[in-house]
Amino acid sequence: MKCVRKFDARPKLDGSWKFIDDYSYPEMIHGQLLYSKCHHGYIKKINFPENYDLSEFTIVSSKDIPGENIVPEPVCDQPFMMDKEVMHYGQGILGIAHPDRKLLLKFIKETKIEYEELPAITDIKECLNNPDNVFGRELTIDHRTGKKPDPHWDHHHKIYYTPHQEQAYLEPQGMIAVWQPKDKIMFVRATCQCPFFVKEGVEAIMGDSIKEAIIETSEGIGGAFGGKEDFPSLLAGITSLLSYKSGKPVKIVLEREDDIRITTKRHPSRIEIETWTDPEAKKIMKIDIDYRLDAGAYQTLSPVVLARGVLHSISGYSIPDTFIRGRLFRSNTPSNGAFRGFGAPQAFAAMEAHIDEIAAGMNINPYKFRKKNIFKIGDEFPTTQPILENHLSDCLERVIEKSNYFQKLEEFKEWNKTHKDKKGIGISIGYHGGGYTGNGEKVLNSEVKVVIEKDATVKIFVANTDMGQGAHTTLAQMFFEAIDHPREKCLVQLPNTSKTPNSGPTVASRTIYIIGNLLRKFAFKIKDELEFENLEEYVTSNQNEFPREFRMNFVQDPSVVFDDENYVGVAYKDYSWAACVTEIYFLADTYQIELTKSWNVMDIGKVVNQKIATGQAEGGVLQGLAYGLCEFFYKSGYGRMHGFTDYALPTTLDLPEIDVEFIHTDSPIAKGLGEIPMDFPAPSVRNAFHNATGIFIDEYPLVPERIFKHLKKI
Amino acid sequence: MKISFKLNNKNVTIDTDPMRRLLDIIREDFHLTGTKEGCGEGECGACTVLLDGKPVTSCLVNAVHIDGKEVMTSEGIAQEPLGKLLIDCFDETNAVQCGFCFPGFLVTSYHYVKTDGEKNLDKIKKALSGNICRCTGYQKIFESVMMACERN
Amino acid sequence: MKFIRPNDMEGLFQNIEENNDRKYFLAGGTDINIQIKNGTIKDAEIIYIKHLKELNGIQIEKDDIVIGATTNISDILNSKIIKENLPFFQRSLESFASPLLQTSATIGGNIANGSPTADVVPLLLVLDAKLEIVSKSQIRIIELTNFFTGYKTNIMKANELIRSIIIPKKAENGFDTFFEKVGSRKSLMISKISLAGLKNISHNKFTTIKLAAGSLNEYPRRLYKIEEYLTDKSLLEIDFLKVEELLNEEITPITDLRSDKEYRYHVCVNLIRTFLNE
Ligand SMILES: Cc1cc2nc3c(=O)[nH]c(=O)nc-3n(C[C@H](O)[C@H](O)[C@H](O)COP(=O)(O)OP(=O)(O)OC[C@H]3O[C@@H](n4cnc5c(N)ncnc54)[C@H](O)[C@@H]3O)c2cc1C
Ligand code: FES
Ligand code: FES
Repeated sequence: MKCVRKFDARPKLDGSWKFIDDYSYPEMIHGQLLYSKCHHGYIKKINFPENYDLSEFTIVSSKDIPGENIVPEPVCDQPFMMDKEVMHYGQGILGIAHPDRKLLLKFIKETKIEYEELPAITDIKECLNNPDNVFGRELTIDHRTGKKPDPHWDHHHKIYYTPHQEQAYLEPQGMIAVWQPKDKIMFVRATCQCPFFVKEGVEAIMGDSIKEAIIETSEGIGGAFGGKEDFPSLLAGITSLLSYKSGKPVKIVLEREDDIRITTKRHPSRIEIETWTDPEAKKIMKIDIDYRLDAGAYQTLSPVVLARGVLHSISGYSIPDTFIRGRLFRSNTPSNGAFRGFGAPQAFAAMEAHIDEIAAGMNINPYKFRKKNIFKIGDEFPTTQPILENHLSDCLERVIEKSNYFQKLEEFKEWNKTHKDKKGIGISIGYHGGGYTGNGEKVLNSEVKVVIEKDATVKIFVANTDMGQGAHTTLAQMFFEAIDHPREKCLVQLPNTSKTPNSGPTVASRTIYIIGNLLRKFAFKIKDELEFENLEEYVTSNQNEFPREFRMNFVQDPSVVFDDENYVGVAYKDYSWAACVTEIYFLADTYQIELTKSWNVMDIGKVVNQKIATGQAEGGVLQGLAYGLCEFFYKSGYGRMHGFTDYALPTTLDLPEIDVEFIHTDSPIAKGLGEIPMDFPAPSVRNAFHNATGIFIDEYPLVPERIFKHLKKI
Repeated sequence: MKISFKLNNKNVTIDTDPMRRLLDIIREDFHLTGTKEGCGEGECGACTVLLDGKPVTSCLVNAVHIDGKEVMTSEGIAQEPLGKLLIDCFDETNAVQCGFCFPGFLVTSYHYVKTDGEKNLDKIKKALSGNICRCTGYQKIFESVMMACERN
Repeated sequence: MKFIRPNDMEGLFQNIEENNDRKYFLAGGTDINIQIKNGTIKDAEIIYIKHLKELNGIQIEKDDIVIGATTNISDILNSKIIKENLPFFQRSLESFASPLLQTSATIGGNIANGSPTADVVPLLLVLDAKLEIVSKSQIRIIELTNFFTGYKTNIMKANELIRSIIIPKKAENGFDTFFEKVGSRKSLMISKISLAGLKNISHNKFTTIKLAAGSLNEYPRRLYKIEEYLTDKSLLEIDFLKVEELLNEEITPITDLRSDKEYRYHVCVNLIRTFLNE
């Protein structure tokens, strides 16, 4: 648990660390996308403004694509640029480049497109309530007993809605493509999470016209949270095409308003839950979950989000009779994509709300009800995966204890009797399976490379990027701590697809969990192989052996066997667990909820770097709380938001005091941390509001306008 | 229009469109890329610089407005003793995540510690309330600035 | 876009007198730059005024505090004169935009821009502020409450601008004050509703009541009908249904991406109630 400092903090502070827009190449020109403002239809005509010399512009459309007009994704259905029909608002129609960025933006603003509009699905509820919109594979986890529910059991049936969430990485999406005709290489500098995804994307769009695409990330990746998982492939494709056609380096950096309009968001969901609970034993006996996601116009990676959502949808409770069904719904909006949590935050938002619903119905304290039903050793996930530890329950107990939950419950009850404003306290729990789902890690077959130089410098080559989560510091730390090597002599290299083996994408909380633990093993393996006590001394006395390269692949634990057809088996080898208690203050005059304190206890296994881990957790918890409280992107009848003026991110004055504690840190392995802090906090806000006012709201976020409507109804 | 101003303690003169954004002048003409564009509309603070010692969002400041004034960017502040102290504190707490917002936070914190400097959480939160950070949840930023107030 | 930087007031007047084109005064630029970016301002004449000393600064003139139009919000927040005479006004401005914006944004720009959400306007309205509007040949002092004529429109002619804002030195004296700004967060907040109020009570009756609301009409307005109804009544004599009814005549809240009209209306009712009860 050492607190090694980040190697990149200082240059980031003084401004010398380069983000995508800070790079420049000789003769570089600027590109932008001309995208659709119509949701569905045909383009009748594109009218470019007059008074511009069109010969100065490079313009590409889908007709210019030498390769394939399909972005490589888990489901390959999304074109790089519109083909015949506009399928959603924000769809790329043309790529346009010009040496003067300002002039280019003006040109695009003044370009007018005439559409022949077709019927479109743009409203979230309309989309999710109409089974005609279902597309892609339906997932089911069927663990039914076939028995009829006992008529004495308490029946609860509810529908929960969650909104879009914008990643709002502070650095907008950007890409630079440099076409090198002599070698037929397309070099791309990217702010992205997954350089190899970008490589596949560029190679798909460029086809045989290039020999290879080489992707190198920018030094700084200004936040991603999932938002830079798949959209960069599309952007890199179009940027490359522009570079190919113009023969010049092309840089596209999106304006914030465009970024917000056209990039992927968290999937809105409609989750219907039906439960039957034994009132004597206080045990949930049977559950039916209908989990629906608005995927946007194309499936892209949504099936993977759906899979994780479905697998987490029961939350942390052991229920003997379960049926879970997951489906994707199509709309004429930009494809929704990855965002920290990947389907799990929606799942917990619904199920953790539902648990309080049942508890209230049976007049039992929500903590006590959770304790009755929470996973214990010997229980199973709905996929039949056995539960091997009681750590979820430990998290819950610890957070109840440290937050003084029961005392506050009483205090608030008293206080509320004499005050117009109300105080409330709420609980939620969550967990996150580390790494790719099911057999995913086997298929990925991640490889890492290490080069030991003559001066005993260890260079680590992984494809995983550092987008702020401190991955490169922590990964290096896992290696050098294992063999007691000086930290200055162990550095993760900037990911570059021509130098770095494919250690998989930087997603799914897998970087430290899969790659970090692999590097640790790798360090021991090299030590065994070379039989050294001290690497520096060894290198000094065996100079002729160096520089030397080592490679190692990830081998999945044999216990991970997953039947992808029937959703049976071990979906994730290791889970991180968490529980949370949030206190709120409700303002009666304005119907606003203020967050006052949030207690969070997590088991992420071994904590490699305490301060980095705490920082990750604090940031994730704030995103999670804001997801429950205030962030939304679309309002029925009023459309989508356009920038940071509308999409109001929490400021320094909006956060509660966030307390984070890690337990079971004596574990030998570091488990996933990236996503779990985002998974569970939202429903604690909703449950605290119920505690304060006695009112359940089943739609997130709990903005004052929604609260007002509920209060007026009652 | 000819515009003369002091940039990180050096006198400079440029000939430019009077409505051009200070942000673009800094980044394009002087290649000081520590000042970032996160939104271009005053909403994020990634572009914060000091103008005559006060923090402003350089995406909304026009060239004409800086004539005869003093501009300090994160690069300049990093050279000042107080800037160095702040960098030490941010480094020590491992507060920096993606870092895109941090040059802006450095500038605003510098102004706070220099002009007020009280180790007071509420005041610090208020002083930093024009700078958005999406990664950190802010707490480690507060901790760092508190630390700097104490050490200064 | 034509750009002018007059050397002095004379140059300024010459310029605005000579042509009647659509023109904008560039003060802090926090509104103009956004409007240029999103295309609502194009092909207009921009006249820079922030450097003109005659338009800037805070002074006491006899019974008034005079704030130059291009005075920054941060200068008002830091001013000793304001602190001593108009502490409520000063305190209330802390929630204006963000500290970074406060150093650029000007008070005159906020008024002239004429947004329904302009934060200084409801405050100035209850303080009975006046505007000094000047042209080459004329100075007119008008009540702020008579300044706006509709959504983003006002009584200024093409050859005029605001020189200063005049607030009676004793505007806050003896009053209980109230200002609430409601938005979706605590900083960088565009108000969904704002309400400013002054009241004083004698023998249990409200002897003076001043109320102004922002974001609830095409421009921020005094709620005169409610003021009239409440004056000379005690709390017990007030029929809140009547207040609600009058409020319905006074405000025209809308539903947009940010908020709902019913919400806006009811929050306003609640705030008035709290203001009277406190
Ligand atoms: C991120 C952000 C947050 C904001 N938050 C708030 C907020 O919380 N509350 C709020 O009220 N506003 C807010 N604003 C709006 C804006 O900052 C204010 O309206 C500000 O006071 C405008 O002043 P300025 O000097 O920048 O105006 P400018 O942009 O320079 O000018 C605005 C308009 O006023 C006219 N004008 C300026 N000076 C004069 C004069 N002396 N005589 C006649 N006309 C004149 C100009 O022609 C122009 O039409 C915000 C803006 C941004 C970008
Ligand atoms: S870029 Fe200037 S405030 Fe965001
Ligand atoms: S560190 Fe990423 S936005 Fe602040």
